[in-house]
Amino acid sequence: MAAAAVALVLVLWLSAIPISWFPEPVGSSAEEFAGGVRTTVELTLIAGLIGTLIGVGAGLGKLSHIPPVRWVCGAYVWAIRGTPLITQIFFVYFALPEIVPWLQMSDFAAATVALAGNVGAYNAEAIRAGLLAVPRGQREAARALGLSQTQAFLHVTFPQAFRISLPPLVNNIVALLKDSSLAFSIGVLELTNVGDRIRSATFQPKPVLLATALIYLLLTSLMTLFSSSLEKRMDIEERQP
Amino acid sequence: MTQGGAPLITLEGVCKRFGKVEVLREISTSFASGSVAVILGSSGSGKSTMLRLINRLESLDAGAIVFEGRRLGPGTGTVAQLQALRTEIGMVFQQFNLFPHLTVLENVMLAPRLVRGTPREEARAKALELLVRVGLEEHAPKHPFALSGGQQQRVAIARALAMNPRVILFDEPTSALDNETVGEVLDVMKELARSGMTMIVVTHELGFAREVADRILFLEKGRILQDAPPAEFFERQQDPRIRAFLGRISH
Repeated sequence: MAAAAVALVLVLWLSAIPISWFPEPVGSSAEEFAGGVRTTVELTLIAGLIGTLIGVGAGLGKLSHIPPVRWVCGAYVWAIRGTPLITQIFFVYFALPEIVPWLQMSDFAAATVALAGNVGAYNAEAIRAGLLAVPRGQREAARALGLSQTQAFLHVTFPQAFRISLPPLVNNIVALLKDSSLAFSIGVLELTNVGDRIRSATFQPKPVLLATALIYLLLTSLMTLFSSSLEKRMDIEERQP
Repeated sequence: MTQGGAPLITLEGVCKRFGKVEVLREISTSFASGSVAVILGSSGSGKSTMLRLINRLESLDAGAIVFEGRRLGPGTGTVAQLQALRTEIGMVFQQFNLFPHLTVLENVMLAPRLVRGTPREEARAKALELLVRVGLEEHAPKHPFALSGGQQQRVAIARALAMNPRVILFDEPTSALDNETVGEVLDVMKELARSGMTMIVVTHELGFAREVADRILFLEKGRILQDAPPAEFFERQQDPRIRAFLGRISH
């Protein structure tokens, strides 16, 4: 797991070097591409982290004993899953400041908010499924020992639920990495945007798009590597081959 | 009541219903400190519910339960009071309900650390001592999945003991075990009984009841049909319904 984390950091800081070995016109634009990679990874990590917290909150909310909490969280998941991501990005960037003037955000911030809100809805379902999969007897045993509701949740229910939710959560984050390319639409200089600018400046779509795709593939592979080592660590029962 | 100890738990006209089904109808009895009571009855007679009311995993609809002079009726008792009550009442479940993400040792240490704030080293020493008592010290670093059912249930008993409870409730502790491992769990329970632990046991193990219990409570349709010492219950049983029940479960 540590190795995968180190690899990710290396990609972030040193990606310009391997990209410079790519054929023209990519090689000579390595610095621009590296900047795009950094922005894409930043978008993914920040939105992914916030989206996971939102997911835990909304996943719990959908199982709440308080009906209005359930309704609000249900409506959130319903609205996000039922509308296109690009509409959500445009909404946060263009429409939100009209409704709430102090919510005027930079393109990067707007994209992060929209992506976090989007992945949060999908994560909520993953977390909810994990929470439901923990047997009732676990919470009962915790309560019978005198643990408070919060202690039972933090030390008994949640660790088990999270382990069950992990594979779908990773799925969502991998999808988020690719979806972050839609930040292009409001001008964020992430990987897809950088590639597209170089394509239109050089009129060489083939090498540029292949390089872009290859870099995305490398990033998602790293992420999968990281998550499978995490899963392995959490697989106490050694159920995976 | 045949035993001399002061009552630790008293049930006063306790009623419980699930929807339209009356599970317990005005149950009144008490359990003395240091005594072992075995609750028998066919499935659906309310045995498990009675246990689960005592530590308030279920709420009661009417009546009251008095634990060491503290009386709690329906709707009374703050969250903190109920939590405090549960720390003094251990429970062992049919399905063990060990925490699968923690090691055997961590399972036993968890509640003392979180609820009582026992320092780690002290909790660890006490947990190891309890694992020795149930004969599982060499399994301390393992996770529950690696243990047999009987071993898991012995860990569950150690986990309950770690809180120094005044009483332990056993909810069909051997029903999920295969015949080979039932004995090792019953042996631990017998040792506990000899050490003076107050126990309320729902079980179908008639041999255990005969040998260890101070009294047998027989529940039928949510009422206590009979409350008798084991000798009287097993050897001089008059009630035809109970005789039929004993005939059914003894083979």
